[in-house]
Amino acid sequence: MPPRIKPALLRQLRYLHLPSSPSPVRCTSSFPSRSFSATTASASASASHSSPNSTSPNSTFTTVSPDEVSHFNALASSWWDPQGPSRILHLMNPLRHDFIRSCRSSVLDVPPPPSNNLKYLDIGCGGGIFAESAARLPTTASVTAIDPSPEVLSVAKAHAKRDPALRSKLTYLNTPIENLPVPSTPQDGYDIVSIFEVIEHVPYPADFLDRCAPFVKPGGWLVLSTIARTWLSWVTTNLVAEDLLRIVPKGTHDWRKYINEEEMKTYFLQKRAQWTEPRCMGVVYVPGLGWKEVPGSEKVGNYFFAVRKVPDTA
Amino acid sequence: MGSIVLSGRQLQRPLSSLCRSCSRRLLPRLSRSYAAVSSQQPDIYDVVCVGGGPAGLSLLTALRSNPTTAGLRVALVEAQDLEKVRSWKLPPDRFSNRCSSLTPASAQFLDNVGAWAHLHRDRVQPYHEMQVWDGVTDARIEFEWTPPAAGKTIAYMTENLNLTSGLLRRIDELGGVTVFNSARVAGISFGEETEDLDLREWPVVHLASGQRLAARLLVGADGANSPVRAFAGIESRGWDYERHGVVATLELEGEGWGGDAMKIAYQRFLPTGPVAMLPLPGNLSTLVWSTTPANAALLKSLSPKDFVALVNAAFRLRPVDLEYMHTISSGQEEELAWRLQHTQFNRRAIPQTVVGVQDGTIASFPLKMRHADTYIGERVALVGDAAHSIHPLAGQGLNQGQGDVESLARTIEFSVSHGQDLGTRMSLESYNSERYGPNHVLLGVCDKLHKIYSAGSGPLVPLRSLGLSAINALGPVKSFFMEQAAGNGIKLF
Repeated sequence: MPPRIKPALLRQLRYLHLPSSPSPVRCTSSFPSRSFSATTASASASASHSSPNSTSPNSTFTTVSPDEVSHFNALASSWWDPQGPSRILHLMNPLRHDFIRSCRSSVLDVPPPPSNNLKYLDIGCGGGIFAESAARLPTTASVTAIDPSPEVLSVAKAHAKRDPALRSKLTYLNTPIENLPVPSTPQDGYDIVSIFEVIEHVPYPADFLDRCAPFVKPGGWLVLSTIARTWLSWVTTNLVAEDLLRIVPKGTHDWRKYINEEEMKTYFLQKRAQWTEPRCMGVVYVPGLGWKEVPGSEKVGNYFFAVRKVPDTA
Repeated sequence: MGSIVLSGRQLQRPLSSLCRSCSRRLLPRLSRSYAAVSSQQPDIYDVVCVGGGPAGLSLLTALRSNPTTAGLRVALVEAQDLEKVRSWKLPPDRFSNRCSSLTPASAQFLDNVGAWAHLHRDRVQPYHEMQVWDGVTDARIEFEWTPPAAGKTIAYMTENLNLTSGLLRRIDELGGVTVFNSARVAGISFGEETEDLDLREWPVVHLASGQRLAARLLVGADGANSPVRAFAGIESRGWDYERHGVVATLELEGEGWGGDAMKIAYQRFLPTGPVAMLPLPGNLSTLVWSTTPANAALLKSLSPKDFVALVNAAFRLRPVDLEYMHTISSGQEEELAWRLQHTQFNRRAIPQTVVGVQDGTIASFPLKMRHADTYIGERVALVGDAAHSIHPLAGQGLNQGQGDVESLARTIEFSVSHGQDLGTRMSLESYNSERYGPNHVLLGVCDKLHKIYSAGSGPLVPLRSLGLSAINALGPVKSFFMEQAAGNGIKLF
């Protein structure tokens, strides 16, 4: 129905015609790099917030966007409705485990790293779709799951009560990452730190990732998923998913916050030490068929990304 | 207490901490004296399977034999005494009257879960050829594998008790299934919420003995009148055929025209319904005759020699002669001898003459078509007859159930390996979408075949014969149908 499509399209185009955002209908390479670091992005606004490495508990700095918290608070009640707005996340969840398994099994350590008693930290756990599933795996020792939204976290806690298998393995904490105590020794860190569908909602991703990094055990993995910033991802995630098909709630995605895979690699491997073995898997949602791995699609849409913290040399 | 635990496997979770108040929630129809017995907490299981028939036992075997799902806590609730199934034994020349045609796909699945080796293989009869013809026009379709595939098995005739007792032996070997034997389900309700546990969406099975089993997933393998389906509020729709299936174990004059190496299944479409004779080992065959309830009552009332005569007549005489033979209460043997002198037929295109029927094997059951609206609900899955009942003319009922079980076990395995709650409707979606469509098509095809061949005269009759003859003339089309019948053809969906 063209009369309905047009206003939506115009709204989106207006929205994107900001001085720093070019028209989305251009090839990928012409996009500017996302302002990845808080210090450059907010240089004019506030040059005085605490440095990323400072974890003073009195710091007022937060990686959490208040607008995002209120958006997800509003979605909390429908988080576990399999036919609700989070259905597409539920459908994606099994692929997260496949990806983590493929990352962990791809290393050639001698002896191989232990595959049991794994400790997970799930950052931005939302209603707990991934956290619950990780806790159910027989190879999991414990899952700590955190989220800054109190409404979402209370939904997560209430839902976890429905499964007696989760009680001894899953802990929810209503906190942003900067208030979570850093492990006292590297070996007390987590085998897997997961940040699924979070980074595109974070205003200063570099600072945020710097806060997450110390929680990964040497030899452990930092695993995330997000969306590449391309004209196609704007069409699929904003125009089609939110405005036309409405399978994702309006206002969930801010295309300008998307990060491309190259930017992720640059951040971890060129600008930071201690990371190795980057892994990537592009996935595409096909209505009626679900999520499918499509090699190469990480350049244009949703993708998983993982890096391994360099193991301790014995 | 009718429960036996097949292995000494320890409970994985501390039951002492489970919801105490669940025990107070009882169905209104349970007696008050029962409430006192049930003050203990419900046991929590990952899978509670109600019904220990072929589908339920196959599911438990599949779950226990797969390393991914072997860690699940599983229970079986069966109303009958499984000891009788476990100790089932017949002399080599005696065969049960309830047999099923297992497709190679079903046999492969049973082999994959380690159950096939536990069947009495000398009592399983593969067959390699099918003869199907129209009783009114004699149009014939010969299902015979082409030379490269000659000797290939179309299906395996298996006594249902041979299958279920073999599955039980395999489950005994695997261990780890908590069996509630001779256990009546008194009711099913939902659990309750306590301070640290919310079981309000978990079905709780109340046994007449007072035990209560909370189920992450409740599987209804409990037959056509499934209490689990009723609990889930899932409608089952369809109709009765006003036909009964008459079964019997028959003794023939020989091993069949092809000998032991080339066994043949026969089916003739009569206006009252199809009559089928399927080979068993040696000179035995099993009869499945779909006919009117009145004819079924007559068949069951006849002396053995008149019963045998009427069965022989069903494969030889014209429908009008056969109809007459159903109007007399005895003397079918003499009537057949006289009428055969005036009937022409090709002896080698029909089964060898029946010479006897084994004592106590003549029985009948009503035929119906039913299909549940869905196979899944929140923490509920239906398999086998609880999900669908089919006309036996294609011998697919038990195979559909095996297909269900294979798909459900695969769905559960996926959930376990990806940390999903295996009982939620979302986790079960792929089971429903894999099985509903193919089962629906098969139910529809068998239903239409029954209806088309129920016509004794009229415009349908020449058309259907043309159809059968045309199929017979077209090799590739025929092999397609045969591959489908054997369950290993191209997947339609």
